Amino acid sequence: MSKVIRSATFALSFGYIAFGVVALVLFAAPLWYAWQVTVEDGRAEILHADALRLTEVFRHEGAPGLKAFIDARVGMQLPGERILLLTDSSLQRLAGNLPQWPKTVPAQPGTYTVSLDLSGKPTESVVVRTALPGGYNLLVGRDVARFAPLTRHFWTGLGGAVAVLSIVGVLGGVLIRQAILARINSIRQTVLAIVQGDLSHRLPTRRSGDELDTLSRTINGMLDQIEQLVHGIRDVSNSIAHDLRTPLAELRSRLEELSLTRPTTEETFAEIDAAVADVDRVIRIFNALLRLAEIDTGMRRSGFVQVNANELAAEVVEFYVPAAEIKDVTLSFASSGPVSVSGDPTLLAQAVGNLIDNALKYAGERGSVRVEVQTRADGAVVITVADDGPGIPDSEKPKVAQRFYRGDISRGTPGVGLGLSLVQAVAKLHGGTLELADNHPGLRARMIIEPGALLAGRPRSMVMAEPQAVVPGAEKSPAEPMVL
Amino acid sequence: MKLLLVEDNERVTRFVVKGLQEAGHTVDNADNGREGMFLAASEPYDVIIMDRMLPGQIDGLQIVETLRKSGNRTPILILSALSDVDERIKGLRSGGDDYLTKPFAFGELLARLDALSRRSQGSATQTVLEVGDLRIDLLSRKAMRGERSISLQPREFKLLEYLMRHAGQVVTRTMLLENVWDYHFDPQTNVVDVHISKLRQKIDADFERPLLRTVRNAGYMLTADE
Repeated sequence: MSKVIRSATFALSFGYIAFGVVALVLFAAPLWYAWQVTVEDGRAEILHADALRLTEVFRHEGAPGLKAFIDARVGMQLPGERILLLTDSSLQRLAGNLPQWPKTVPAQPGTYTVSLDLSGKPTESVVVRTALPGGYNLLVGRDVARFAPLTRHFWTGLGGAVAVLSIVGVLGGVLIRQAILARINSIRQTVLAIVQGDLSHRLPTRRSGDELDTLSRTINGMLDQIEQLVHGIRDVSNSIAHDLRTPLAELRSRLEELSLTRPTTEETFAEIDAAVADVDRVIRIFNALLRLAEIDTGMRRSGFVQVNANELAAEVVEFYVPAAEIKDVTLSFASSGPVSVSGDPTLLAQAVGNLIDNALKYAGERGSVRVEVQTRADGAVVITVADDGPGIPDSEKPKVAQRFYRGDISRGTPGVGLGLSLVQAVAKLHGGTLELADNHPGLRARMIIEPGALLAGRPRSMVMAEPQAVVPGAEKSPAEPMVL
Repeated sequence: MKLLLVEDNERVTRFVVKGLQEAGHTVDNADNGREGMFLAASEPYDVIIMDRMLPGQIDGLQIVETLRKSGNRTPILILSALSDVDERIKGLRSGGDDYLTKPFAFGELLARLDALSRRSQGSATQTVLEVGDLRIDLLSRKAMRGERSISLQPREFKLLEYLMRHAGQVVTRTMLLENVWDYHFDPQTNVVDVHISKLRQKIDADFERPLLRTVRNAGYMLTADE
């Protein structure tokens, strides 16, 4: 079935017919050649042997003996079996079944294919001309035309085969074309519906798993991704509209007020500084969005290197330790040893940094934030950042990684609401996930990077972990906490 | 310093030229690639500020590449609205010495120009750095203020070393992030400030004259001057 499907179009079936004909010809040509060579060679050989025998007769019994011999043979043989002619030196007929010496035979002794006048009509013949002592000439020949029907049969057979092949090919092509067109049409209908704006349509798939089916599945995967991106863009534009408008509105009113009230120089400068700070906030949001967009395109994967996740996380922790000390929060790091992942060090550091930054923001007074790097039994690298703050209610967990989402609890804290989105995007870029779970109390954010996931080409979206869910392997390798 | 600014946006040019002149520098400027290429190749400059996207068939990166191929080693700061990490790498690979993304704060530009000009003077081979009575030994990794030895953690030492190498110059938070931690991202909160205040505790707290100063709207400066 799949072989038939593969010849997807009419043109292709014609190609197959042409190919079949060529193959047939290639097969027939050597046959034809062998037939020709063997038969012709054999024929010439027999004629030579015959001429030799007649020469022997001539040598033993002289011209009269040969004349008598030939006469006897001509009298005995079937019509057309052998052409025999003996002439004297002036080419006058002495014996044989030709009325006179044919002019078409060249003067030198040898084997020739000539046209002879046999019983009134020119006939293609093979002749051997032999010069006998005393100027006698001997011609021994065979009428080839007798084999013509055989040749004709051969060609008719070949032509018939070609014809049958063509008919079967065309018929097959038409049938295949119809079968494939039907499926392609159904794909086209779906795609048209999608083009018209309904992204929820998917191509029909069968269980057969043939080429078209594989293609449909691949396209469906692409559509999933596009749908997700389109929704993402829609969400982001809404969020941008909201979150950029706020500082821009502030900025505008600040400047407008300045322009209207014309306060004292000193006050003006203070307002201008504040305006610059507003602009900086907008630029920050923009930079964060650009970074996210850059990550989402997946282009950064080209710059992946082997990164020691353990060392990287330890350095980020070290970077944040002074900030933790100021808040009187204990920031500790634990690891089960060096862990190598393929990734973008800058992005991974930023992601871990964002998680720690978040944790420090929400950790309680004299609280603690714990960072762990572990390798799971299945090879996945898990970077956990856990705090003892208020945590995130289960109802909000799926939303916090959305762009610009800010939970009720985060109102009034600095930040643009893109921190966790970035972590999630980075995790996804590395073929991993971001899991948010309860730390009783607090939040336990886990960035899971599965080394094989990228190769499989299926970055997963965010997974919400049940509070009870325990990372396999994390239990098996209890890591000693190292307070920095 | 004598500087060349190759930038096609009039407003940016006016703003940067004015600021640089006020900071005591001489500035030539070109508003297209051809003129920029001509000036950069014919005049001696301390630092060249090069916009990436320019009118006139030649873009900023091509000028940088051409200059480098012809053996011109003038430090070049590339200015660009393209902020991707890949673009940044491209800029530095073409021969640029630093890369600043638009929009930028003027203080950031000035600080980076100072750092670039200092770099080209080549003070990298010293093993002992001194600012006032503060002294660090790069080989033994020891720091002293006057007669008192200061104990520093490795990262603090690196931070101090960077500040001392750029003594008398303004160093921005971004420059510190990039050069001390090698982080090319925005850490959201003021973590660098916290590191600086920790360092300040160690080197300045018990001394009458503070060396590490905060420069408003720009960054920090380590200096022994009043």
